[in-house]
Amino acid sequence: MSKRKVKDAPLPLGDCLTEAQQVLRERFCRQQLPDRPEGVEAQHKHLLELLKRTAVHGESNSVLIVGPRGAGKTMLLQCVLRDLLEETEVQKNLLQVHLNGLLQTDDRVALKEITRQLHLENVVGDKVFGSFAENLAFLLEALKKGDRSSSRPVLFILEEFDLFAHHKNQTLLYNLFDVSQSAQAPIAVVGITCRLDVLELLEKRVKSRFSHRQIHLLSSLTFTQYLQRARTQLSLPDNFPDSKFAQEWNEDVTTLCEDKSVEEVLQRHFHSSKDFRSLHMLLMLCLSRVSVAKPTIKPADLLDASRLCLADAKANMLHGLSILELCLIIAMKHLNDVYEGEPFNLQMVHNEFKKFLQRKSNSMYNFDQPVIMKAFEHLQQLELIRPADSSAAKTQREYQLMRLMLDHSQIMEALQKYPQCPTDVKQWAMSAFG
Amino acid sequence: TPRHATPSIPSRSLPARQPANVLEEARTRLHVSSVPESLPCREQEFQDIYSFVESKVIDGTGGCMYISGVPGTGKTATVHEVMRCLQHAADVDEIPAFHFIEINGMKMTDPHQAYVQILQKLTGQKATADHAAALLEKRFSNPAPRTETTVLLVDELDLLWTRKQNVMYNLFDWPTRRHARLVVLTIANTMDLPERIMINRVASRLGLTRMSFQPYSFKQLQQIIMSRLNKVKAFEEDALQLVSRKVAALSGDARRCLDICRRATEICEHSAAEPSASGLVGMNHVMEALNEMFSSSYIAAIKCASLQEQLFLRAVIAEFRRLGLEEATFQQVLVQHQALCRVEGLQPVAVSEGLAVCQRLGACRLLLLEPSRLGVLQRVRLNVSQDDVLYALKAD
Repeated sequence: MSKRKVKDAPLPLGDCLTEAQQVLRERFCRQQLPDRPEGVEAQHKHLLELLKRTAVHGESNSVLIVGPRGAGKTMLLQCVLRDLLEETEVQKNLLQVHLNGLLQTDDRVALKEITRQLHLENVVGDKVFGSFAENLAFLLEALKKGDRSSSRPVLFILEEFDLFAHHKNQTLLYNLFDVSQSAQAPIAVVGITCRLDVLELLEKRVKSRFSHRQIHLLSSLTFTQYLQRARTQLSLPDNFPDSKFAQEWNEDVTTLCEDKSVEEVLQRHFHSSKDFRSLHMLLMLCLSRVSVAKPTIKPADLLDASRLCLADAKANMLHGLSILELCLIIAMKHLNDVYEGEPFNLQMVHNEFKKFLQRKSNSMYNFDQPVIMKAFEHLQQLELIRPADSSAAKTQREYQLMRLMLDHSQIMEALQKYPQCPTDVKQWAMSAFG
Repeated sequence: TPRHATPSIPSRSLPARQPANVLEEARTRLHVSSVPESLPCREQEFQDIYSFVESKVIDGTGGCMYISGVPGTGKTATVHEVMRCLQHAADVDEIPAFHFIEINGMKMTDPHQAYVQILQKLTGQKATADHAAALLEKRFSNPAPRTETTVLLVDELDLLWTRKQNVMYNLFDWPTRRHARLVVLTIANTMDLPERIMINRVASRLGLTRMSFQPYSFKQLQQIIMSRLNKVKAFEEDALQLVSRKVAALSGDARRCLDICRRATEICEHSAAEPSASGLVGMNHVMEALNEMFSSSYIAAIKCASLQEQLFLRAVIAEFRRLGLEEATFQQVLVQHQALCRVEGLQPVAVSEGLAVCQRLGACRLLLLEPSRLGVLQRVRLNVSQDDVLYALKAD
């Protein structure tokens, strides 16, 4: 303690917490790049070597990065680019073009974007002139004039690559791959996609020009690594201003991660999905409960956050329904039981409901037809039921066939939690056949 | 457009590094772009095209030729080589001078742009498509004091198809004019393209001068690689043979073959821990490269999926077996999934969570799904064979 320097003087708790929140939120929400990619060293090396050869030797290449959502594809590429640009030779020479299949929805837009990002000569200010055909001819001419050793290498990054494969004739992909396979300006085409069958989307001549180099990001992560990752993600870095607070925080995080109930919760999330994005979501929800009054994360916070994440959306919607609407849903459930998934219409539901009223209940829920119709329509607006066939306009509303979009388990679960559910309704729901 | 913009990519501050060792040298030579002076294994085709164009140029007449073959069999490269040789012959005055222009159906945005590009390459004029068509029509149908023959190469011919087929019609009709002196070489992938997509008067004008490029056999592929390497000793004999046999068995695409060899040199360079005895690219490197490029990743993806995702796949198969169909609704699968969870001693998944699992599998196309707004009613199909799924799930 005595060794601590003056500038490390303890900050007030509030400031420490603000700082900690800021550091951690940056990490969870902004997808900050890690210093070293974890678990993907081989892929990192492969991609780095490949891009380096383009940048330094002028060799043209094409590669696809494939992996499920949240597997760190963009992170890998950004890390590689960061490491690549550390060399001054590369930094001076490499031109980058970033395209995204969600933004560049057709070749015309993509081509304008390429021309703009390359600052070709038909760009004036920030505007690209000329027609689509002229732009394509101009770009191809420019790339054709270049050669391996003297022109600057261009790196094309196509995110959501599978969407580019849906463009007309796949003209853009054909031309990019064609340039990468012929003696023109050196380019590297890097596609990022989550579809495993992406090669089957390509036309055969486009496919032939693609080099069939694929980098797969499939995580073979174990639960211990997952737990470790959760711990490191929550820990504060070494350069935190108040080292005493950071140390205490990190110790708290360690004890938190060793807690049995926390481990169970994380295990459950790990079983559900291995991607880190959902883990970050969970940790973010915990973190938002930290305040000056409660400066550490408790196991209970994690349990609450997990409950929030795993809550069933449809069952929650059922809690907000009126008794009449709930009764209609139960009637639909009985119809589904009896007629095994056949569609139903309002009349059938109403009949089923009337049977219940006659038999079991005093006339407390004796509603008129229009009221029931209104409730039925409300259910349709909530998309708890949907028309069985799309030709909606032809038939009258009472006779339109509908399907229930709920599972029985959801209805039962919602009934258990429904605030002040009348006993007879509950019994009716439980009884096997109406 | 700025009037005098010259298309160019800025040049680099330092020239690119030259290859430093044998493997890098081999890699440069093996790149698809470094086309050799003379293409091996295409001598017959070369000869045929050469004599066709040569006779037309000498006679000062016109004609059409249709060249077909699967991608990567050297169609465009052979034609380019023919033109190079003819140009050389013309330079030393063995044959009359001629003019060579080239268009590619994939490199234009619309079939009618073909006129614009031809006109620009012939005369340097810029015009709209209609105007260009009129100008070309005039040029080819009127007698003019021209001595040069024009050779036009049309690559990816099938992209020039329009409803009325007027672009193709014009391309094949111009050579039949008396004063046109136009030779049209067309390239496409399918052999029966004229019969399949062209109306009679277009197909008849294309004529019967056809040539088809067969896929390379394994001996030819081997020869191609050897000629590219040209005495650079970087590969073991057996390794080369393996690559060529594999590629010949699958597609006979020379591009694939070269790409695999290039990847194998990389693997050889970076697996320095276990280099082959001779320091050359050996059998194991080639095997690894082949595996990387040809193997499907579905099985690995299933193995790496999370537990619930694997259970869901298992539930899908169980439901398929129960129904005897290859399709089930999500609701049906969920029942199986929850049962499986109980068997495995896990907490049964809620519907939302199950849907999320299903969507994730659908996003990487292990499953084929209907739009997700159908909720529990959406139908689920497998995109992989059941055997693959069972194999992947059993292996561990």
